[in-house]
Amino acid sequence: MSQTLGQKEQSLFQQIAKHYENKQHKRGLKVADQLLKKVPDHGNTLAMKALILNAMGQKEEAFALGKTALRNDMKSHICWHVYGLLYKDERNFEESLKAYRFALKIKPDSSDIQRDLAHLQIQIRDFSGYIQSRRAMLKAQPTLRTNWTALAVAQHLAGDLEDAEKTLSMYEDILKVPPPKTDIEHQQALLYKNMIIAETENYERALEHLDIISKLVYDKQLVMELRADYLLKLNRFSEAEKIYRILINRNQENRSYFAGLVAALQLSESQPDKLTEMYAEIASKFPRADAPRRIPLDFLKGEEFRKAADDYLRRMLTKGVPSTFSNIKTLYQDNEKQAAVEKLVLGYAEGHTPNNTTDEKAAKEKESFHGSVLYFLAQHYNYYTSRDIPTALRYIDQLIEKEPKSVDYSMIKARILKNLGDTKGAAQMMDQARSFDERDRYINTKSAKYQLRNNDHTKALDTIGKFIKADATGGPLGETIEMQYVWFLTEDGEAYLREKKLGLALKRFNTIYNIFDLWQEDQFDFHSYALRKRQIRAYIYMIKWEDQLRSHPLFTRASIAACKAYILLHDQPQLAKDEPLVNGTSADSKAKKKAAQKAKKEQEKTESEADKKAKATKKDLDPEGKQLLETQEPLKDAMKFLTPILESSPKSLPVQEVGFEIFLRRKKYLLALRCLLATKSLAPASPHLHSQILRLQHALETLETPLDAKALKTFDTEFKPLLPAPAADLNTVNEDFLHKHNDIQSVLAAVHVRQVLDPDTNRTQAPQDLVKAIKQDSTSLQAAQITLDLLNRWHLDTSSYVTAAHERWPQATAFAAS
Amino acid sequence: MDIRVLEIADLPYVQQTNLTNLPENYFLKYYLYHAISWPLLSYVAVDISRPPKSPYDPPRIVGYVLAKMEEEPTDGIPHGHITSLSVMRTHRRLGLAETLMRSSQRAMVESHGGQYVSLHVRKSNTAALHLYKDRLGFKIDKIESKYYADGEDAYGMKMDLEFIRDELDEEDAAAEGIDEGDAVGDEGKAGKEVKKEKKRKVKVGRGLGVGDLVERSEVRS
Ligand SMILES: CC(C)(COP(=O)(O)OP(=O)(O)OC[C@H]1O[C@@H](n2cnc3c(N)ncnc32)[C@H](O)[C@@H]1OP(=O)(O)O)[C@@H](O)C(=O)NCCC(=O)NCCS
Repeated sequence: MSQTLGQKEQSLFQQIAKHYENKQHKRGLKVADQLLKKVPDHGNTLAMKALILNAMGQKEEAFALGKTALRNDMKSHICWHVYGLLYKDERNFEESLKAYRFALKIKPDSSDIQRDLAHLQIQIRDFSGYIQSRRAMLKAQPTLRTNWTALAVAQHLAGDLEDAEKTLSMYEDILKVPPPKTDIEHQQALLYKNMIIAETENYERALEHLDIISKLVYDKQLVMELRADYLLKLNRFSEAEKIYRILINRNQENRSYFAGLVAALQLSESQPDKLTEMYAEIASKFPRADAPRRIPLDFLKGEEFRKAADDYLRRMLTKGVPSTFSNIKTLYQDNEKQAAVEKLVLGYAEGHTPNNTTDEKAAKEKESFHGSVLYFLAQHYNYYTSRDIPTALRYIDQLIEKEPKSVDYSMIKARILKNLGDTKGAAQMMDQARSFDERDRYINTKSAKYQLRNNDHTKALDTIGKFIKADATGGPLGETIEMQYVWFLTEDGEAYLREKKLGLALKRFNTIYNIFDLWQEDQFDFHSYALRKRQIRAYIYMIKWEDQLRSHPLFTRASIAACKAYILLHDQPQLAKDEPLVNGTSADSKAKKKAAQKAKKEQEKTESEADKKAKATKKDLDPEGKQLLETQEPLKDAMKFLTPILESSPKSLPVQEVGFEIFLRRKKYLLALRCLLATKSLAPASPHLHSQILRLQHALETLETPLDAKALKTFDTEFKPLLPAPAADLNTVNEDFLHKHNDIQSVLAAVHVRQVLDPDTNRTQAPQDLVKAIKQDSTSLQAAQITLDLLNRWHLDTSSYVTAAHERWPQATAFAAS
Repeated sequence: MDIRVLEIADLPYVQQTNLTNLPENYFLKYYLYHAISWPLLSYVAVDISRPPKSPYDPPRIVGYVLAKMEEEPTDGIPHGHITSLSVMRTHRRLGLAETLMRSSQRAMVESHGGQYVSLHVRKSNTAALHLYKDRLGFKIDKIESKYYADGEDAYGMKMDLEFIRDELDEEDAAAEGIDEGDAVGDEGKAGKEVKKEKKRKVKVGRGLGVGDLVERSEVRS
């Protein structure tokens, strides 16, 4: 048995526990110290003190004390339990799990320890452990319905639908009297059971069950949605149709209801007449609804399309809906539709004659219609499939002249300038738009984003600062971190990457990485909360979402950028030390100093605020990411970002491409091959493949230590077939490729290969090849910018290339003569 | 555009939409708290016009309404509350906010027996005031001075949801007309029950807040 206390001491100890539960930490601490004066080595008291210190944010002291406590009393379940809690807080789940297990061994009937263990198990998805824990909890308290539901959840998540259903049924059987209709827990448990049955794909049974329970649950709309779906799957079309009609009466903008109705009516796009009729009928019933008017434009063709588009556009433009173009532009995937829309709207523009009507209202309406038409056209000619920038500019300038203070007009003009590559002008224009409506945060956000695209970090922070409390911890930047502004951190980091300020770039990407960690941790509380709230279906959805959290593009984008920063750091280690070089000139040191000062000030602010609040968060000792740059193995560090994205987004092309670059440099040739093969299956025609194959082959030909037999075999079967000819000279293969292709992507791929095989030739040849490529019509501004970046990276002469690019995109900031 | 119930996988983009449009912001966990506690009350508007760039692209959110039921209504009457509503500027005046609000309100009545819905709005927010007052029928209940962090006053607004119960009854009647009474679950409806309950003053929801999380956002919203 563990150390025992006298009666008086025992009551003091109980006080500590009570204070802790009530979060009265200062009081708890006082009592603990009082008790420790009498029994300085008492393990349980030390453990409780550790717990309190931990809650007060003094993590290190807490941990040290927790260890001492355990050393003093290895047989106390309290000491082990606390030890587990401390580890859990540090996110060291493995150690925490072990500690809980020890605690439970000492005191097998402790429901607290059992519960903490269970929550940890589900958090780390130890399904079999969780099922075990849940069984034990059910056995201890079989009258609690929650315990039955929780066991079913455990079985369900482990993939055992049959047992999960059985568990739920068993409880229902135990119930002697069915619960009243007002029993929300019962309702939700029934719906959950239906979800499980549906997952077995036995829709017959799911429908039967749903029909029985539908009278018992309030969530009628959900029941209707499920029912209609099951009926469709069972080909019971006319019944499904009725329900979809009711659902559409409720919400005319839900696309899945329309899709359901179409399926129920067994209609398809090969019967446009019938479909049109169906939509027209619904549209006439709901004069304000958009979807039944808009959807037919997706499937109609030719003259039918033209007529419907005419009606739709006139309606929207007359109403003056500014988002009309956003709502139309997908149709442009079809060239014919794009042309038809263009002709229609140009027609409206021509139809505008100077008004000679005396009716003031009519005149005004006509004027507003005309404005909407020009606004549409400005966006139309700025859109990438129908781009004609001078025309877009003409329209938008015409509008701005009439209404110089319109937010929307200036916003579009900024977007047009952005597409000209004029990042500076675009940022100024967007900020002007912002100034016309200082209360609208959307336009403020846009302005800050454009400022970041123009690498202007200071202005961007000032801009978003207008909507952030002056006393926010750490100023606007601190707020973006605290409140999870992933958009801002991404743009800010990408700008730093463009400027080759790798420390700050990596800093931002790490912040995003941490935010995703936090989002993963966020689920913890809900393991118990969702059960208490009885929202089991929602809880299951949460678990499934969390399991693929890092496939989110917000994570992928930041992680790819982080990988690129590490590659750059590996290729040009001097970037960690030197003044960043941009286009061969030293960055403006004055601006840099200013920025550094500002960062320092912000940092100081963070610190003092943090101290004042005695906040639990550790203060950031490396706000500029200098420590991140000190790494000796940047590519190894990059794995922190690469591993999760390769795991969660294997079908993303940019992920596989960046993976190849890292593995090639790390001389992990089998892994590089895997990325290469994935790239090939995702984009068989990608010019990147050419460069990947040749560079990998070159690496294999110049190996220092030969591959082992197994690897050789893999390369023989998987890689050799990709090579142009056995034992071909790579240089010749590369030049052949260059002769056959003239688009900039391919030329760049070939130049990249040559940079590896024959950098001397590249010095004169690369700029010539690329100048030729840049003159191709198909070359996009974006590709031209990427190319310049690579030329710089290889330290090649860029002057002729920049001149040619400047000629083609005279407004582009990237190619402006410095 | 597609308007449907908010799904948990929507949350990161919903949060970024909120950060883009409004100064009142919340941790992702607070959105999670809404989505798990009242999974049928919040709605999103999705831009379906952008072709996905990879198989992992979640739907692009251009508008959302984040809603909840008051956990411990001081007046003892179950009612809903709009935590946040916004639509991207590029998609405004399409009727999205109106549909989002109406959908949420219906769910408040149907699933939770909500009898009214309340919200806060800046005194200067003319667009939102138009929507609430003229389009939807909210009434100003009170003025809360210096409600927002920057010192601006808020209107506390309320709207009676009784009429939705009538609509739902009509819908039932119509459905029964077609179906002769079987099918579409014609009984289970929170509204009816709660009407009875009202007299008994049964409290809906037992204070089960998620601790600190709720405290913080309550201050911010
Ligand atoms: C308020 C807001 C949500 C409205 O979104 P929306 O999708 O454009 O609104 P809807 O298209 O559904 O508008 C419905 C009705 O509201 C009113 N309305 C909306 N915007 C308006 C505006 N700018 N001026 C006047 N009335 C407006 C109109 O009566 C409109 O009907 P109508 O277009 O047929 O005239 C949107 O402007 C927004 O996100 N603003 C920033 C965030 C915000 O203020 N949120 C509210 C916080 S309480």
